[in-house]
Amino acid sequence: MGVEVTEVSLRLDELLLQFMDQLELLEDRKRTLNSLIEEGWFAISKARYAMGNKSVSALQYGSEMEPLVHVHHRALETGEVAFRTERKELQPPGGFPEEIGPKEEGMRRRKTNKPKDPTEEPQEPQQASLLKDVSRQVGGQPQPQDPLKWFGILVPQSLKQAQSNFKRVIELSAEVAALQTRLMATRREMQRSLQEKRELLTGKEEQ
Amino acid sequence: MAGRGKLIAVIGDEDTCTGFLLGGVGELNKNRKPNFLVVEKDTSITEIEETFKSFLARDDIGIILINQFIAEMIRHAIDAHMQSIPAVLEIPSKEHPYDASKDSILRRAKGMFSAEDFR
Repeated sequence: MGVEVTEVSLRLDELLLQFMDQLELLEDRKRTLNSLIEEGWFAISKARYAMGNKSVSALQYGSEMEPLVHVHHRALETGEVAFRTERKELQPPGGFPEEIGPKEEGMRRRKTNKPKDPTEEPQEPQQASLLKDVSRQVGGQPQPQDPLKWFGILVPQSLKQAQSNFKRVIELSAEVAALQTRLMATRREMQRSLQEKRELLTGKEEQ
Repeated sequence: MAGRGKLIAVIGDEDTCTGFLLGGVGELNKNRKPNFLVVEKDTSITEIEETFKSFLARDDIGIILINQFIAEMIRHAIDAHMQSIPAVLEIPSKEHPYDASKDSILRRAKGMFSAEDFR
């Protein structure tokens, strides 16, 4: 019985040290995250000063928004969750010349005034859906727009600086989220070990 | 880690939302529902709480970023959320600096070391 208690106590000590390390790391990352956010605000304020008071506000947000960042997560055996961000690369401006002319490929049906033949009727919806499919494939998904463009074509350098700050904040936030879940997993493990130790000690007292 | 991945949602003041949207987290889905909420002076606590709960209920959101002063308004809802996903991160705001002693996660971690645990 005594050996078991010593083992659980050693495990608890180990978990406590691990917990403290994780807490320290989390606080450090949070400090970095917060200072990056503050730098980002400062850059936004500078951009606002350069562009005008009403030029950098919620009113300029685009009417269409496509996320450029996604978070992937993976649950680990220990109860932790690993987060990872993935950024969609935007097409460089001028990389592909804009296509002029009809975007639909393939044959187009000429409209004629021919009287409708009742035998042709069932083919119509099939052809229509075929054409629709072709146009969907060719058109594809709309390309996401750089959010900087919401605020104009020629934006000040400070707004670009703000964007790069917040891009780093987003990456770091995934790391902080992962650290938070790791900390909580260690906490649960510690609580389990504490409970185990208590049970062992009460069992010992009863004997 | 396969699949499309999840979104990052933001509940914050105008500059916080603007910054994160510049970073590329913004989305307006097919129902024109955004994954962010710009909290202004006249935004009610009920609206904030409902938005937060709707973000929790959405299965396409992986992380929720929230200004700490807004988190303080709906602290009960944040404390009640115990799942790992979506992860809730409290961040500072322009007028309210970050206070670690108010953070839900750090308070939960601190709660580990109450006298009750060392009896």
